[in-house]
Amino acid sequence: MAKHDEGVVTVGRSRIGTFFANTTGIVFGLVMIFPVYWVLNTAFKPDSEVRSFTPTFFPNEFTLDNFKSALGEELFIPSMINGLIITAMAVACALVVGFLAALAIARFSFYGRKAIILVILAVQLVPFLALLIPLFLMLQGANLTNSLVGVALVYLVLLLPYTVWTLRGFISGIPRELDEAAMIDGCTRPQVFWRIILPLTGPGLVATSVYGFIQAWNEFIIINTLNNPQKQNLMAWLLYNQTERGTAWGPLMAGAIITSIPVVVFFLIIQRNIATGLTAGAVKG
Amino acid sequence: MHAVDSRPNPAEAPQAPPPRHVARARNRSQRDSRVAWLLSLPTLVILIAMLAYPLYRMIVLSFQNMRLKELFSGATPPWAGFDQYTKALTDGVFWGVVGRTAAFTVVSVTLSVLLGLGIALLMRRVHARVRIFMMIAMMFVWALPQLVAAQSFRWLTDSDFGVLNYVLTQLGFDYATHSWFVNPWEGWAVITTLVVWAGIPFLAISLSAGLTQVPKELLEAATVDGASPWQALRNITLPILKPLLMIVTTLSVIWNFGLFTQNWALRDGHPEPVYQTLATFSYTQAFGRSNYSYGSAIAVITVLLMLGVMVFYIRQMFKIGEVD
Repeated sequence: MAKHDEGVVTVGRSRIGTFFANTTGIVFGLVMIFPVYWVLNTAFKPDSEVRSFTPTFFPNEFTLDNFKSALGEELFIPSMINGLIITAMAVACALVVGFLAALAIARFSFYGRKAIILVILAVQLVPFLALLIPLFLMLQGANLTNSLVGVALVYLVLLLPYTVWTLRGFISGIPRELDEAAMIDGCTRPQVFWRIILPLTGPGLVATSVYGFIQAWNEFIIINTLNNPQKQNLMAWLLYNQTERGTAWGPLMAGAIITSIPVVVFFLIIQRNIATGLTAGAVKG
Repeated sequence: MHAVDSRPNPAEAPQAPPPRHVARARNRSQRDSRVAWLLSLPTLVILIAMLAYPLYRMIVLSFQNMRLKELFSGATPPWAGFDQYTKALTDGVFWGVVGRTAAFTVVSVTLSVLLGLGIALLMRRVHARVRIFMMIAMMFVWALPQLVAAQSFRWLTDSDFGVLNYVLTQLGFDYATHSWFVNPWEGWAVITTLVVWAGIPFLAISLSAGLTQVPKELLEAATVDGASPWQALRNITLPILKPLLMIVTTLSVIWNFGLFTQNWALRDGHPEPVYQTLATFSYTQAFGRSNYSYGSAIAVITVLLMLGVMVFYIRQMFKIGEVD
């Protein structure tokens, strides 16, 4: 320890202070991670250990029964498939539509550009749940409640502003000189978009769609309101499962883990983009 | 900075260029403008149909009286004028919800911003390995879906088999089969802990990224000149961090003011009156009691209450963009 610290210690930093800082940091990390650990711990325990007045901090007996019983629930697999279909539809549409608008904002100067930026920023702040009442009535009128398409439409709107905004950032990052060079070499405008900008935005498209996936996958209130129990996604299944059966904690935690895995994996892959997208997505005119 | 085609050629700009060039440039920029609008059109159509129009419908609805009868018959709901608003604004329950939501927002945002800032500062001070451990722990918490996080807290605080009661009982307090949601103060403490716990990673990681903008030399110079750590923090670090701090605080206010998932899930989808916030209250009125108009009026009031904060956020974003 001391050897490592020598280089780090600057004026006014005592060794005791560093010790306290390190201890606080470790305790903080442990406290933060504990609820996550407890979900895992519970999911791998047999029921006798879950429903016990003296909880075990590490399973005495390691079991996969909870996962089996979650997967065996009548609506678990259908909910998973519904979620995947809805998410894929919403993300794909948001990506195509959003990329076009991002191109316009990033590569053209035109009358109304600032206004569009303002709208894109503003709608991200509208508490979406507030719009759920009119959306429900509209979809009901269009016979789109209780359908995967209706939910996908709503999720599309949920994802679109962020998609446009993030892709705009990625496109702005591509040097204009590339466009110019391509045009001098005889490319037309559409060819520039198709052959230069689209491939170079690749990583941005991946990051944006992954974020979109997380958003759509995590949503449960809208789908819970619009659809009947047969047409829910996994998150809504988690909610239903809690309210209607009393609580079987082991299978619930196992279901929660299965539901979370894609989100956590994707999140850890793209976390840098999420952090900067929310705060430093500055408006570059 | 704008599209390259519309930028006047610097060599020609000062003198009056030949008219033909002007005409061509103007044609070009007009065509550009058209193409840009065409590209934005699908996005705008979707936003108008699925966002602007529902917003309009919501406002109209709040001046009507739509109940289950109109939902099934499809008849136009009777006009109610300001009735829904009068009902809300003269109702003690509604004001209770507003006060509760506001109080929760103030407490939870203050706690999470202070803790987030504290953790961000702490991360500069600790050993590299400890920092990595803290980062990993926070990443997992951040990645966890809100509902899963809420479920895990519901399990931790379960009255019979929850580990929290067990640990407290082991420590010598009598918490066996203690229910955390009987006393609203305790219940709200659990909800606030959940929200703050889930919110810290975003705040701490964003702020610690912001802290790298603070020049080390400046802090060292200040220390050499005899500034206490507190003075260095107040007079050097915080002013540099201020724009970022404003944005993350504003975002936290917007998010926490709209609290729904956590109190909804922790109360099994049926929050008791003392656990209602504006979002759940509006939702319950509309979908629980089929009082769509009253729910809409509450949603409109909620948006109006948030409007100031939202305008502030957008202005801040533009400001930072101009600074860049």
